[in-house]
Amino acid sequence: MTHKQKRIIAVISALSLYFGLMPAASAMHIMEGYLPVGFCVAWGVICLPFLAAGFMSIKKVLNENRKALILLAMSGAFVFVISSLKIPSVTGSCSHMTGTGLGAILFGPAAVSVLGIIVLLFQAILLAHGGLTTIGANTFSMAVAGPLISYGIYKLCKKCKINTYVTVFLAACLGDLFTYCVTAVQLALAHHADTTILGAMGKFMMVFAPTQVPLAVIEGLLTCMIMMALETYAKPELKAIGFMEEAK
Amino acid sequence: MITIDKLCYNSKLRYVNAGEKFAFTMITLLLCVISRSIVIACIVLTATGILTVYKGGIPLFRYMHFMTVPLAFLILSTLAIMFNLSRTPLDLFAIPLGEWYLTSSRDSFRYAIQLILTALSSVSCLYFLSFSTPMPDILNVLGTLHCPKLLIELMLLIYRFIFVLLSVASAITDSQHSRMGNKDYKTSLKSFSAMVSVLFIRSFKRANALYDAMESRCYDGTIHVLNETFPPEKKHIFTIIVFDIILLTLTVFIKLYL
Repeated sequence: MTHKQKRIIAVISALSLYFGLMPAASAMHIMEGYLPVGFCVAWGVICLPFLAAGFMSIKKVLNENRKALILLAMSGAFVFVISSLKIPSVTGSCSHMTGTGLGAILFGPAAVSVLGIIVLLFQAILLAHGGLTTIGANTFSMAVAGPLISYGIYKLCKKCKINTYVTVFLAACLGDLFTYCVTAVQLALAHHADTTILGAMGKFMMVFAPTQVPLAVIEGLLTCMIMMALETYAKPELKAIGFMEEAK
Repeated sequence: MITIDKLCYNSKLRYVNAGEKFAFTMITLLLCVISRSIVIACIVLTATGILTVYKGGIPLFRYMHFMTVPLAFLILSTLAIMFNLSRTPLDLFAIPLGEWYLTSSRDSFRYAIQLILTALSSVSCLYFLSFSTPMPDILNVLGTLHCPKLLIELMLLIYRFIFVLLSVASAITDSQHSRMGNKDYKTSLKSFSAMVSVLFIRSFKRANALYDAMESRCYDGTIHVLNETFPPEKKHIFTIIVFDIILLTLTVFIKLYL
């Protein structure tokens, strides 16, 4: 074998190893122990105002209507379950939705921030996705930043009178992509050994792009199809959580 | 359905006081993350491994399998840390790609090894908690730590509903599969979204039924549950204190002198 052939084989085997490992990656939870202590605390503190706002809004709703607690708990469990189910993926292996886009559209970003931190705690303890020390960072990317963007896009497109399904697709897909970008930023801020923060960010985004970009598109498609089905079959339930009034 | 949950109810450490286990996990985890040293990571990895597998009676094979769950994330992000694309080759190795080099330095290699070990040992800490303590016990501990009541109640309900919804979801998925609901990619996307929307409707029905049931049993805003508590044992507390003091001194030593 010539030198060139050897190199080609090395590149091909590296690629196949990469794509062989890739499908096992689920949504981007930063794993336990991956961030230094300072960053764990900092991201936790950044999340606090959002959590407090969410907590207050939940409390206000509960004072008016006690039944809302059960509905809220059911929504939390719903978000957990859809994020733990395997979605059909092109490679036929295991990947998951984040579910927060759908949650933000259905229940609003304030409620999702509180539900999100609970769901992340359960995911860490029951499924080993994410972790206890990184819960602040994960909450910020998955339960605050992603849902806020999803909700913002959803509201904006509603104002511009764009087709509902396009809106839902955009909201879920871009929310997912934004979550992925925020996670890359979080990783880059914590770990940039040889390069600048921007360079490290580019590397993280490059490495995770093959798993996350198709996933975001699939999540957008699925959320869109789910909303179609819900609007056909679940009008009274959607009214109960105040979704339909806003939609009119 | 959730393997970790099933295993932890069968753990031999299940009836040990939950506060002890929680304290041990949190302190060790913090020391692990603060010190970020290879020595401490190895000590913690062995200690929690022995506790979970030998003392807790979790099958070794299962434990090893669960340690590989976060592996994809670990490998991908460590690759991003280790390798650099630059015009100048670094000291460990460099693979030329046209004008650029795919390269890595000794420092970042050491950094990556350190990071992998720290992350793995923290995960083993987390596993010690989740393989020995059922969720309601953890919620009890959070309650004694003055976590807001509303949150605890919400968590308790969510924990219960997760299993209800999962069983509905798996029943629907099974029946979809037995009717060729996954014959090609388009169909499987369609059946997945149909399943999720039905799950949403079912979850509302369940929530309403549950509320009616609770209301008819005098629900007034708080859920009262009888808690099983097991008194803490002096021997355990002593061991935990000694173990963590050793780790702490090691951490201080490493931070000051290395």
